[in-house]
Amino acid sequence: MVPTISFDSELVAMLPRLRRFAHGLSRNPADADDLTQATVERALRSREQWQPGTRLDSWACRIMRNLWIDTARARSRKDKVEAPAEEGELVGEDPTSGMDASVDLGRMMAAMDRLPDEQREVVVLILIEGFGYREAAEMLDVPIGTVSSRLVRGRTALLEMVGA
Amino acid sequence: MVTEEVFFAWLDGELEADEAERVAAEVESDEKLALRAEEHRALQRRLATAFGSVLSDPLPEALLAAARPEPEVVDLAAARRERQSRWSGVPQWAAIAATLAIGVFAGTMVPHRNDDPVRIDGGKVYAAASLDRALTTQLASAPAGDTRIGLTFRDQDGAMCRTFTQPAASGLACRDNQRWRLRGFLAAPEVQAGTYRMAGGMDPNLANLVGTAMAGEPFDAAQEKAARDKGWR
Repeated sequence: MVPTISFDSELVAMLPRLRRFAHGLSRNPADADDLTQATVERALRSREQWQPGTRLDSWACRIMRNLWIDTARARSRKDKVEAPAEEGELVGEDPTSGMDASVDLGRMMAAMDRLPDEQREVVVLILIEGFGYREAAEMLDVPIGTVSSRLVRGRTALLEMVGA
Repeated sequence: MVTEEVFFAWLDGELEADEAERVAAEVESDEKLALRAEEHRALQRRLATAFGSVLSDPLPEALLAAARPEPEVVDLAAARRERQSRWSGVPQWAAIAATLAIGVFAGTMVPHRNDDPVRIDGGKVYAAASLDRALTTQLASAPAGDTRIGLTFRDQDGAMCRTFTQPAASGLACRDNQRWRLRGFLAAPEVQAGTYRMAGGMDPNLANLVGTAMAGEPFDAAQEKAARDKGWR
């Protein structure tokens, strides 16, 4: 008679984390909320495909990543042509002095946006969402060695852009 | 000589104990590597803080609406049949009584889904129903129902926090205006040998949350009971 945790409740409780993941992947907060919403809609439609007892967070993150891949490449090419000015602004700024976390978020998102997609996704999954290498490899369907080398390149490039 | 891949795998806690020890020794004896480790730890902290700010944002209404499309429509007849079949081993009068009680319960409560263990209010997620009761009344030493309480502690703002485990999920809830606000609610990990680094049976993501939230030490049994008796203030 004890109610079990429903799929819906779990998904709702996961919304903050899904939004964070979306911010890691997206160019700006508005895109991140659109991506989160699309992910939730897709997850609800595909709920039959989720196997109870497996991790809902990995499953939902995989859905989000696939949706992002579907749209990101075309859009980022377009955006880079239209808005090249922003890129130079990141370089050489003192990154952390007296900076509010939400202000820094914008800066980190802009820096992440300059990483190639395949580096960006491993940086987000492992360094922001805290997944292990193996979990990330399974989610992205690539060998662990690939995850590991993309992560090296991604975090090194990120550090060069933002300082530490 | 440590390759870049191995260096970062070490930094991310991905190496087996003996290899991790070897890399740690090498990093310690190499000034450049030590500095590099520090820079990358700082980068990771900065990412955690910047992107962590998203977690405490109120959730956009449109998103909540998308996640909660419509209240589930419950087929009362089917629900009754299911309840009855669960009672098939008990005397008939008990089964009838239970059916009546459930009929009343289902008729009045189901559209509001009052047994949902979480509830959303103003963009925040709170424990409700059985989860709320377990967090408020249960001690770690006395599990009851489907919920087990794990650690009890104060967070950095002084609020009482408790971890809990249910068959399909675990999480962290902290007091917020006399209610239990969920700080984390994680699906139970797939049990798969070697895939997860478990800390004392706790989901590593939950352990991570606890580590970030906790100020001081977790409560012992006496402190836990005293805190409950004082109403978790």
